[in-house]
Amino acid sequence: MTPLQLLFLGVFGLAAIWFGWRVFRTKSMVRSALSLLAAMVALGGMFLALDAEFLGVLQIMMMAGEMSIMAFFMMMYMMDPGGMSSMNMTHQQRPAAAVGIGAGVLVLALALLTPWPPAQALAPSATQQNHDLGIELMTRSMMIFETAGTSILVAMIAAVATALAYPQQPD
Amino acid sequence: MALTICLSIAAVLFGIGLYGVISQTNLVMIMMGVELMLAAAMLNLVAFWRLLHPHTYALQLFVLVVMTVMALEAAVGFALATQRFRSRGSVEVEEAADLKENA
Repeated sequence: MTPLQLLFLGVFGLAAIWFGWRVFRTKSMVRSALSLLAAMVALGGMFLALDAEFLGVLQIMMMAGEMSIMAFFMMMYMMDPGGMSSMNMTHQQRPAAAVGIGAGVLVLALALLTPWPPAQALAPSATQQNHDLGIELMTRSMMIFETAGTSILVAMIAAVATALAYPQQPD
Repeated sequence: MALTICLSIAAVLFGIGLYGVISQTNLVMIMMGVELMLAAAMLNLVAFWRLLHPHTYALQLFVLVVMTVMALEAAVGFALATQRFRSRGSVEVEEAADLKENA
């Protein structure tokens, strides 16, 4: 990895953490959806800095769509999507903070204390990556890829079936 | 060095996501926390692919699967929110005590 890549990795990483934190620290729900979008785009930037061009661009495009849909649902379902009144949207703050910090420290300790093998200096070129990923998708991992597609179909049917209005039963 | 940076950032993101899942009262905000945790997992996978096994494309495939899981989670979660909003008029988990037995 070049020093420039390391620099971008750190900058995008700090941006992802900052925006991830902002998601739960703002009163405005639309703003927190946009913060999550910014965190995901920063993550996509990290993927690009890690030479995973296809995944980085895919991440940015997918998350842009998903988070704008999320912002729409927020406006539909929230009592106070703009955060105009100072409604409290949180509960059990202290246990939540304790569990979050505890889990984060645990994962951090795992990441820092594990003796990782030495890092590989070179990654395949973007063209080579796309070619090899395509070969992987269509040969060894084909069943997994197909399963992912089928689960999308199942989730679509399940989502529509769940969201349908049903006639109210008289008590 | 790069691996340490990536794994540390992913650990912090995971912690923030877990905090959000536990502390938020709105279903959509809880889903945002889950998305953040899945994103941290994705960052770990990309870092492992690039820095440990750059020629094992099953890792990139795993990232694609996690991305699919994120989309599915959003779709099914919004469907549940829609049904909940239809029948009860709110998606606050504080008001979902009727899902509990004998409540």
